[in-house]
Amino acid sequence: MGTVLQYLDQEPFRFLLSVGAILFLVLNLAAVFTMAERKTSAYIQLRYGPNRVGPRGLLQPAADVFKLFSKENLSPSRADLWIFLGAPIAMFIPAALVWLVVPFAPNAVIADLNVAIVFFIAVTSIGALGLIMAGYGSRSTFSLLGAMRGAAQMISYEVPLILSLLGVIMLSGSLSLVDVVNAQGGGFWHWYFLPQLPMFIVFYIAGIAEARRVPFDLPEGESEIVGGFMVEYSGMTWGLIQAAEFASMGLISAITATLFLGGWQPPIEALDFGNFNWIWFGLKTALLVFTFQWIRWSLPRLRMDQLMDFGWKILVPICLIWLFVTAGLMLLFPSVF
Amino acid sequence: MLSEERSKDIETDALSAPAAGRLANPDVRDEFGLETLDMSMGPQHPAMHGLLRLILELDGETVVRCDPVMGYLHRSKEKISENRMYPAVIPITDRIDYMNNMAMEYGYCLAVESLMDVEIPPRADAIRALMNEFSRIMSHIPSIGFLLLELGAFTPILYAFRERERIQTIMEAVTGARMMFHYIRIGGVKADLPEGMPEEMWKYIEGLEERLEPDFVDLIAGNEIFVARTRGVGKMTQEKAVEMGLTGVPLRCTGVEFDVRKHYPYGWYKNLDFDVVTDEAGDVEASYRCRIGEVKQSIRMIKQILENLPEGEVMGDTGRRIRPDEGDGFGRVESARGEYAVHIVSDGTDTPYRVHYRTPCTVNMQLLQEIVPGHYLPDIMPIMGLIDPVSGAWDK
Repeated sequence: MGTVLQYLDQEPFRFLLSVGAILFLVLNLAAVFTMAERKTSAYIQLRYGPNRVGPRGLLQPAADVFKLFSKENLSPSRADLWIFLGAPIAMFIPAALVWLVVPFAPNAVIADLNVAIVFFIAVTSIGALGLIMAGYGSRSTFSLLGAMRGAAQMISYEVPLILSLLGVIMLSGSLSLVDVVNAQGGGFWHWYFLPQLPMFIVFYIAGIAEARRVPFDLPEGESEIVGGFMVEYSGMTWGLIQAAEFASMGLISAITATLFLGGWQPPIEALDFGNFNWIWFGLKTALLVFTFQWIRWSLPRLRMDQLMDFGWKILVPICLIWLFVTAGLMLLFPSVF
Repeated sequence: MLSEERSKDIETDALSAPAAGRLANPDVRDEFGLETLDMSMGPQHPAMHGLLRLILELDGETVVRCDPVMGYLHRSKEKISENRMYPAVIPITDRIDYMNNMAMEYGYCLAVESLMDVEIPPRADAIRALMNEFSRIMSHIPSIGFLLLELGAFTPILYAFRERERIQTIMEAVTGARMMFHYIRIGGVKADLPEGMPEEMWKYIEGLEERLEPDFVDLIAGNEIFVARTRGVGKMTQEKAVEMGLTGVPLRCTGVEFDVRKHYPYGWYKNLDFDVVTDEAGDVEASYRCRIGEVKQSIRMIKQILENLPEGEVMGDTGRRIRPDEGDGFGRVESARGEYAVHIVSDGTDTPYRVHYRTPCTVNMQLLQEIVPGHYLPDIMPIMGLIDPVSGAWDK
């Protein structure tokens, strides 16, 4: 047994195992989130939700995936096939890749990069590329409009997303997510959401926009541009886009939990479960995902001009002001921080 | 893969006439030297209230031109009506405005009765008004849900359909059908209310009164995004609204007080005490407020009717065979969408010579062409919610 573990800790086995684990996690996450989404929406809307397939409807995601696999992948005859078929992959891979740097528990992180936060920003930006590819490659007016909206939205909201991270980086003095989590140890009053409350809210809002969820789902806008950039997709290509969307929703929640809610740190020291602290990480992420869905099913959609106004005129100034406040406080009271 | 030639063919075919025209005349450009984008929205589109096609010309997200194309749900209602005996036309009118069927039946029956010498018993009149108001609530509340659905909020539509469902249960008990009632007949109504029904209606109406504020006002009206998306959108002046011949909520939300029930009262409405709900703003938000106000007025009317429901017969004496006199018959009612009028030309036989249905949707639809240009693309959906047309009613 010991020898097997020894082998598993060495390259290339470690690499293969990590990739397998991440793919397993992300693909299952998509299934779990679909189910959670449908149940949450049902209870908000006075319905029961899926309750026929399997015990209490729990096998519904499996049935959905089976249906998607059995459907034909249609592509428009005028579509640019390489771009059209490459887009779902270009959207899915970045959403799955960032999970590499997320610390799940004290010793459970696949790659402890010293620039993990930069890695997160850089890789999530690639998702916008996939969106533009999808919209442009399908050669449809609706998807073109969706892609235009998506590009504008994701680039604009990257700015508050990055700015709101800076406070955490300044407080922890590190770009590594493991260090950020370690710096928040010792009870929930050490978590960064307290000193960085405005930044926490801005990061979460910008994260919703980055994950293209209501009220920022303009690239999709199913009541105006009927699905936007993904209007021409069907079968598993569509499924992959959906999986990417759910993965990025989970990712934004996980990163928010890591940066502002102490990652796997327990709320009070007495509840420290050692290596089982992933339970805390999971709970925080699940709570944030639920908030995502709660917002999704309660609010109408913004309009493009209102979206831009909100991003540039409200979120960015809040970030800049709080950045100066944080920096000033750190200069004035160096002993506290 | 398609051959080069074939795909080229498809490309040229796909261009609409204006786009093809612009290719021939490439000088049509805006100040940045950019062309506009042509877009065909519908007829198969989730926000088009049925089957409507909009030919849009877009400058970025701004709509430059909007041409509605109707006729995708044309079912020759008027022609079919010419070939049926008078009572057999009623089920056809049911299918004109399928969200508010009762008013459609009522208008037709009023038109036929204007050609006949028949006395409607008071109980029948009261029941007609009662069912009409239920039908109005059944149409207005989902309209609010649809407006929110088109703004991207999915939840209100299910709350709205819960109410519609409950009214449908009542309607089913009274008329035997959930949607296509065929309840109002020439000379009266099909049958009296079942035993215990007035009490059940009263119970429901009181429940609705309680639920209306929390479910459809508190959750919606104060929402910042809802206000941002609807205030000032689709704004029109009173003059414009009158000039375009609008009726119903689109007219009343600009402040014009016109309601057929009040100004040309028919049937039991003469005995009822109610207000005409108007609003000053003339935008989408105002139309939403108007609809809520009208539901409240309907509740008030239903209570009045139930309080003094006259006793007696529900069917007047129309004779064994319905054969109106020669001449022109006319009936107008206030449907949930505006003034609905029926004009019948009778030649003295037992089928109408000609029937014309004046549906409010056809007329109100003109708004799109006038008001949409200058708005953003996503504003089309709330403007559709303001007009709240029904496909079956504008195409007939």
